[in-house]
Amino acid sequence: MRLVSAELVESRQILPEQWLQSYHAPDLVAGARAGQFVHVRTGDYSGLVLRRPFSINTADAATGIVSIHFRMVGRGTEWLAQARPGDRIDMLGPLGRPFEVDPRSHHLLLVAGGLGMAGIRMLADEAVRDGRKVTLLFGAVDAAHVYPSSLLPDEIEYVVATDDGSMGHHGFVTDLAGEYEAWADQEFSCGPHPMLKRLAELASGRRERLGVARLGRKGGSARAEPRGSTQARRKAFLQVSMEQTMGCAVGACLGCVVMGVEGPQRVCREGPVFAAEEIAWESIQ
Amino acid sequence: MKAKRKVVTSPDARPAKPKRTPTVRPIKSAIVAVDRSKARPAAPQTSAPTPSPAERQALEAIDLSVELAPQRGLRLPNPIMAASGTFGYGVEYGEVVDVQRLGAICCKGTTLRPRAGNPPPRVTETPGGMLNSIGLQNPGVDAVIEKYGPIWQGWQVPVIVNVAGESIEDYVEVARRLDGVPGVAGIELNISCPNVGKGGLQFAIDRDAARAVTAAVRRATGLPLLVKLSPNVADVRPIARAIEEAGADAITAINTLSGLAVSADRTRAFLGNTYGGLSGPAVKPVALRVVYEVAQTVSIPIVGIGGVTSVGDVLDFMACGAVAVQVGTALFADPELPVRLVGELRAECHRRGLASCEPLVGTALPKRSGAPSARGAEYRP
Repeated sequence: MRLVSAELVESRQILPEQWLQSYHAPDLVAGARAGQFVHVRTGDYSGLVLRRPFSINTADAATGIVSIHFRMVGRGTEWLAQARPGDRIDMLGPLGRPFEVDPRSHHLLLVAGGLGMAGIRMLADEAVRDGRKVTLLFGAVDAAHVYPSSLLPDEIEYVVATDDGSMGHHGFVTDLAGEYEAWADQEFSCGPHPMLKRLAELASGRRERLGVARLGRKGGSARAEPRGSTQARRKAFLQVSMEQTMGCAVGACLGCVVMGVEGPQRVCREGPVFAAEEIAWESIQ
Repeated sequence: MKAKRKVVTSPDARPAKPKRTPTVRPIKSAIVAVDRSKARPAAPQTSAPTPSPAERQALEAIDLSVELAPQRGLRLPNPIMAASGTFGYGVEYGEVVDVQRLGAICCKGTTLRPRAGNPPPRVTETPGGMLNSIGLQNPGVDAVIEKYGPIWQGWQVPVIVNVAGESIEDYVEVARRLDGVPGVAGIELNISCPNVGKGGLQFAIDRDAARAVTAAVRRATGLPLLVKLSPNVADVRPIARAIEEAGADAITAINTLSGLAVSADRTRAFLGNTYGGLSGPAVKPVALRVVYEVAQTVSIPIVGIGGVTSVGDVLDFMACGAVAVQVGTALFADPELPVRLVGELRAECHRRGLASCEPLVGTALPKRSGAPSARGAEYRP
């Protein structure tokens, strides 16, 4: 965790109301992993008192460039979208715990809904770098909101679903997930909570449907790691990146909790990535 | 938690940043439509000019320390404290802030038994402030003592444990267990949390209940005792007087104001607990009013809190009679703020030729001493 002054080097609108910004912040980028986030301070004008959390979209340690992808939803993001190259932004990060990929997983299924792409994009980079096969399922409202494939690594399979059928599968991205779960060793997702909830339902019945106990794993699921530990998450089939309104982002204020099966879990500290079985899905709307 | 590393906060001490390699792709044209003429404030300034060695010596000679409990001894190295609930147990910000340079830390509200807190969402931003409804989530006093006591013991910064409860017995038992724990410098009695159903606020809105809980805790512990007032009352002065009479060493003013936010689709309240406590710059005038009134009512030290974001705010609270201030909501945007305020307050004293910040206290209070002012009542509906 570092508090840095990051210099904006590139800002572009990639989709309606959605921006992709690259910042030069070598101290922050070193050690940043997929699933982590940064907490950005907006200008002091008009009384915006809280920082804004953004998933790390890409991080390149060689150049020290970190990028974020956000939608303009209020005055904070509006302010950020107006930043120009050369501007310096106060950034705290990297924060939170990353996605944990089992070293034995070869086939990764990534599922992103809308702006959830921001939270999962970097995992595609990491997986390709490590020589894994990646299929990325992406759901959007319509063709105009589909994340451009030119911004993704060439090595991955990219499958699109749109709510209105204007591109790819007509329907929700969760409709597609079932077809890939037999192929996938692990699944990672970021997006609206109803989508994550549906994926968790699908994943929970996976073992029974496939008729196997943890494909290719020694000892099945007999050895129980403490829930929430890195080891337990690494073994989890589905990991999800959760979202919550946030205060401090370092674990001090207890503002950003989601309900877990073992009580409130801080998105900023225990998350934002959780194994699906850690979340009390009945409390998620 | 990873190994703690002290980060030097002055920018000149940071390692030089390597030159950025010019590998940036050109911005694709016709995508960005930014109105360049639109005035946009510069990124927040986080550095202060470095003083010369002679100046530094003069600055270091200024005594910023304050005594919050003259009878029991709670001397803070400086009057800038971290507010309860915004700074966890002092360890969370350890990687980015040198907590040892603060005047004191008030830890998260602590209860006798563990509490899970309120359903999410628990925080939301409002104009010039924020609403929170955490609901006193904490692991219980025993776990706090076991986990953080040894850490606090090694710190030079005093740690004041914020105590909450549902009944007087709860408060007394927590205070008793904290009594004599190494590393606990004092207790801040939270009788004003607006976010819990039972207990909390009920003690702060009733003079007799406030007196009873303060007196009971006073008997149970020899620790310096602060009591935190609620602004959610018609007149805060009788309550402040009752707390002073019951034996409190100091008064903290104020806790959050009860508020509400509506969900985006307007079908329900936004927060999981419906109501939340308003904090941030938006509440500063209310806090100043309460401090101003309490300062004319009691003679024990007052700790001002509510919307402190600059040294100007610190001076405002002092002028209204506070001997120390707490920084809360502003920490979230600017974790380095409290440490920076210590330096800026020192500079302010230096600029005015003061050897301590004591002459800054109470300068805005009515000159007529004696009978407490009744003017505050005129402004209420």
